[in-house]
Amino acid sequence: MKTEDCTGKAVELSETESVCPQCLSRIAARRVARGDDIYLEKQCPEHGEFKTILWRGLETYRQWESAKIVPSCPPSCQPSSGLGCPYDCGLCEEHRQHTCCVILEVTQRCNLRCPVCFARSGAESRTDEPGLEDIRRWCRRLLEKGGPYNVQLSGGEPTVRDDVPEIVRLVRSEGFEFVQLNTNGLRLGEDKEYARQLKDAGLGCVFLQFDGVTAEAHRSIRGRDLRAKKLKAIRNCSTCGLGVVLVPTLVPGVNTGEIGAILELALHYAPTVRAVHFQPVSYFGRYPSEPRNEDRITLPEIMRAIELQTGGLFRACDLYPASGENAFCEFHGKFLVHSDGRVDSCGRPKNSCCAPPVDAGLVQLGAVPDGNGEGARRARNFVARHWAMPEEPEECSPGLDLNSMDAFLAEHRQTFCISAMAFQDAWNLDLRRLKECFLHVLSPDENLVPLCAYNLTAAGGQSLYRGCGTASPALEGKP
Amino acid sequence: MSVKKQSESAITLVCCKCGEEFVKASVTASYLGAEFPIELWKCHGCGVVYIPEELAVGKMLKVEQALEDK
Repeated sequence: MKTEDCTGKAVELSETESVCPQCLSRIAARRVARGDDIYLEKQCPEHGEFKTILWRGLETYRQWESAKIVPSCPPSCQPSSGLGCPYDCGLCEEHRQHTCCVILEVTQRCNLRCPVCFARSGAESRTDEPGLEDIRRWCRRLLEKGGPYNVQLSGGEPTVRDDVPEIVRLVRSEGFEFVQLNTNGLRLGEDKEYARQLKDAGLGCVFLQFDGVTAEAHRSIRGRDLRAKKLKAIRNCSTCGLGVVLVPTLVPGVNTGEIGAILELALHYAPTVRAVHFQPVSYFGRYPSEPRNEDRITLPEIMRAIELQTGGLFRACDLYPASGENAFCEFHGKFLVHSDGRVDSCGRPKNSCCAPPVDAGLVQLGAVPDGNGEGARRARNFVARHWAMPEEPEECSPGLDLNSMDAFLAEHRQTFCISAMAFQDAWNLDLRRLKECFLHVLSPDENLVPLCAYNLTAAGGQSLYRGCGTASPALEGKP
Repeated sequence: MSVKKQSESAITLVCCKCGEEFVKASVTASYLGAEFPIELWKCHGCGVVYIPEELAVGKMLKVEQALEDK
């Protein structure tokens, strides 16, 4: 594909909508290729032009572009106020995907004050926290809205509360099978028994912020060197069989050179460490300064870095677009880790349009699922199966030779996943992507709001949702 | 389809279609391109295969789910 015409100018690929980073007004935007890079370009009548890098790598851009989700309206929508996306989200009828995971913010307090934080949390944050009965009501609200979904307990730092095991037990008892805990790991590292209490309560996995292997990475992103406590947290989880997902926030010039080292460390702690989930830094909430394009790392750059920095142990070609949400939000790959250290890709996902033909002469197990909200359902199940520690194999049908299935299942206990999710901020927000988001926050008025809309802040700090209850009155009358 | 007939020592599976007994046999189970040579109960007469419920909702389901992963 040509990305420049004969005069060397950039080529417009497609149109979408975004917001002005200054005033959050909805404005038209274009996806534009300039050489190998794809930008989001937009102009606010009041605040001028904005050109933000989206993707560095035209070849993978074309591959990801071809991965389309099946649009599917959420099972329970809120009536639109008429303002439209992204101002009256709840979800509305314009949304094109069901929920995969819901984030429940159980506190706004935090025992760190990271220079980078979606939620702008700190010790000074609000202390009015939901009680167990509030959380029970939230769960029932989610069931009304098509749940159960996967749940992530978040904040703030959830573990500043003493009753997180009770919360996990409560959410599980309301029918939510997979609960993860988004944490900085300090309490898990300090308190040996805490991981056991969480595991016994039914926690599925720990979603552990883990920004690198050097002191400088931790100091720069979290304000202090947390390496020893993070490793202790992993070891404490290992002792009681609680799965851990390492979650590095990637900041150019700070820790993007540590991608390979993080994966190496993760493999060292596998199978306790089930996955590494990279998050390129996004500029909403609290961040050091207004972003330039060189302050961003895009998904294809992470994929290339994974291959380069691991010496080809993990290959970029074994990482694939998301199938349950907008493809440009994510990549993921599944691998098998052998006892001798070898790593094999599990290959392209089989449950897709690329699935091999079925041989009618053989016994067919089950059926290929399809239908409404199927992408979100598959993603939910995938995360629940691979981010939690697998159960011990069970004996069944004694007397029958099922060795080939036993061997297959034993091998699949050794899976290791790599993924990345690119959040959107006021500069790179693409409303098409937002409408295909499946990661939702339960807002204080108990509606589901896509994470990137919920956390969206203008350059001056005003928020659309967070801290506003519903869409900000300050933005009344937008667009 | 099959029915079960209780004897004093063991359960015998009898095919309700042709009346023949089920015997253990090698079959290949396949799903999404993966194949598993396993042993299942098979009708000696018509060849229909019987999959015990605990296997269908247990180990076999886990294999299917592993193969279905996105």
